[in-house]
Amino acid sequence: MTDHPHEPHADAGGHGHGHEAHAEAGHGHHPRFIQHHYDDAQHQFDAGKLGIWLFLAQEVLFFSALFVAYILYRFHHSEIYSYAHKYLDVKYGAINTAVLIFSSLTAAWAVRAAQLNQRKLLIGCIALTIGCAVTFLGIKYIEYSHKYHEQILFGRYFDPCVSSGGTPLLTKSNECHGHKSTVQWQDGKAAAGCYQDIDQDPVAPSVQADCKVEEVRIEHGRPARVAAGAPHDCAKAPTAIVKGDGGTYTFTGACDEIMVVGKGNTIQLDTAKKVAVKGQDNTVRGNAVDAFAGDNTLKREVPKGISSPLPALAAVTDADVDETKQIAREVKRTPIAEQCPEFTPGHGAEHAEGHAAGKHPCWRVGYQPAVCPKKANKEQYGIIVEYGDHEGRGHSYRIDASCKPAPKPAESKEVFVDRDRPIKLGEKALTPHHRLTTHEEHELEAAGPPPEHTSMFFTIYFAMTGLHGIHVLFGVFVFAWLLVRSIKGHFRPDYFGPIDFAALYWHIVDLIWIFLFPLLYLIH
Amino acid sequence: MASTAHHDDHHGISHVASIRVLVGTGGTLLLLTLVTVLATKIDFGANINLGIAMAIAVLKASLVILFFMHLKYDKIFHTVVFLSAILAASLFVGFTLMDTGQYQHTNIWHPDNPPAAPVGPRPTTG
Repeated sequence: MTDHPHEPHADAGGHGHGHEAHAEAGHGHHPRFIQHHYDDAQHQFDAGKLGIWLFLAQEVLFFSALFVAYILYRFHHSEIYSYAHKYLDVKYGAINTAVLIFSSLTAAWAVRAAQLNQRKLLIGCIALTIGCAVTFLGIKYIEYSHKYHEQILFGRYFDPCVSSGGTPLLTKSNECHGHKSTVQWQDGKAAAGCYQDIDQDPVAPSVQADCKVEEVRIEHGRPARVAAGAPHDCAKAPTAIVKGDGGTYTFTGACDEIMVVGKGNTIQLDTAKKVAVKGQDNTVRGNAVDAFAGDNTLKREVPKGISSPLPALAAVTDADVDETKQIAREVKRTPIAEQCPEFTPGHGAEHAEGHAAGKHPCWRVGYQPAVCPKKANKEQYGIIVEYGDHEGRGHSYRIDASCKPAPKPAESKEVFVDRDRPIKLGEKALTPHHRLTTHEEHELEAAGPPPEHTSMFFTIYFAMTGLHGIHVLFGVFVFAWLLVRSIKGHFRPDYFGPIDFAALYWHIVDLIWIFLFPLLYLIH
Repeated sequence: MASTAHHDDHHGISHVASIRVLVGTGGTLLLLTLVTVLATKIDFGANINLGIAMAIAVLKASLVILFFMHLKYDKIFHTVVFLSAILAASLFVGFTLMDTGQYQHTNIWHPDNPPAAPVGPRPTTG
């Protein structure tokens, strides 16, 4: 009190003290922050301490409801726990345990510092406690967002993209935030439709693929007629025809095909895939030509400084210089915003059926048989994006789908090799032919789809860790308030109750995590 | 009050924990966390593994309560308050577990495979 003799009485309001000076002067035995209805600092402290202990007792009962849910469910459905806990990363749980224990130490030390009037140490300890609490929440955020992306959520939102062993799974919704494919793709086609046996059922709900689907506009036309004199831009029309005698023609850019019909012409070009000349005494200047067709009077002039050999001269035919030839040219690619295409399951193996009519009228997605290279006598099914083109006047569209190959599963292939039927969702993993060790059995189980009602584990998991997380968040606010007060120098050896009580609360939060960690992460 | 600052005893308003006790408790807790993680890697059978993990958790909780929360040096009444909460929670869990088996047939069943009709005395006919 000697430090702040004239600061206002903290809790003067409501006690009939209108005047701060009177609060000090009239009640000389009441130091600052001691409320009026207490005899002294000890009295106030003891009352507060009893209050916080009663609150902590209530907290224990509060959490015990969730522990009852946990214990009951584990008692009756231990297989769910032994499967589902593998979705959790022990590393994160252990780090968070260590972080909370350390923060408990700093919180307890903060109490000691307040009791001994070590103000800087007190501020440091509180700051460290807040830092630990924020770290804890950050790690929780990493864990939660990972689960969100893999759809490992509570209740009916539990629709995991991967098994707890990490192998890709079918999802009921045909969607997956993590975009995991269950089919291997190459150049837009399902190269192997039998990525795993899990996904190969034509009447199973879905297979998701991470596909980039583009609509390609293709223009159809005939070779452009080029007049003498003005240069022709091959970027606009890469296939062109020249008709006439004795003219000089210039082509710029990368040409596809240049046709020449006539005598004594001179052709100047940059690059071309093919040059076909019908007629005598023509000259072609340019070296970057992939193929030539013409008679033996054709002169080919190579620009100075280039000495690479010219391609062989082929005999020219009428087809090479056909001006009625149809030419298709890609002019525009427009991405179609669809990553996990929705579709109704096909009616059978023999045909691709599917996409909701009208939504994307020009392309279809469905199941098609694909033969697995390793098991040639077995038909498997995968998702196929069809090239359902459609035509317009002078142009057409094509749908290009390029899909990312699915990530390789870790040592899970053998698991399903002996199976003669596809695994369905919710079914237990497998019945192995030979006796396996307990460890192997666990591995195999983890590679398969989750047992029924696994969502309950995550309902309990999110309820418990969520409620605990809210407590941690609340602790951050409480300690932030204490940090401000300790910087202001409010706490002293005869007034440190708030620090002590907040620390007690924080220890209970730590204590609950001490149980949550082995119960959720460390199931054997 | 400053004269007693270096004694780890009741002084002033409340007990002051010594640095040795604080750091010792914190270190032991971290060590026990490591032990509990390592113990999971060894297969003693599911129940024994669970028992070990829970025993360590109870030990850790006790350390936190006794030393970090000062209950060892605190008023006995606070211990009574806390233990009564634990007792109430145990009753909660215990009594729920006692008759939980009664409802298993109706708790979860598959629509394709409904549970058998309950076995009981035949309805009496008048």
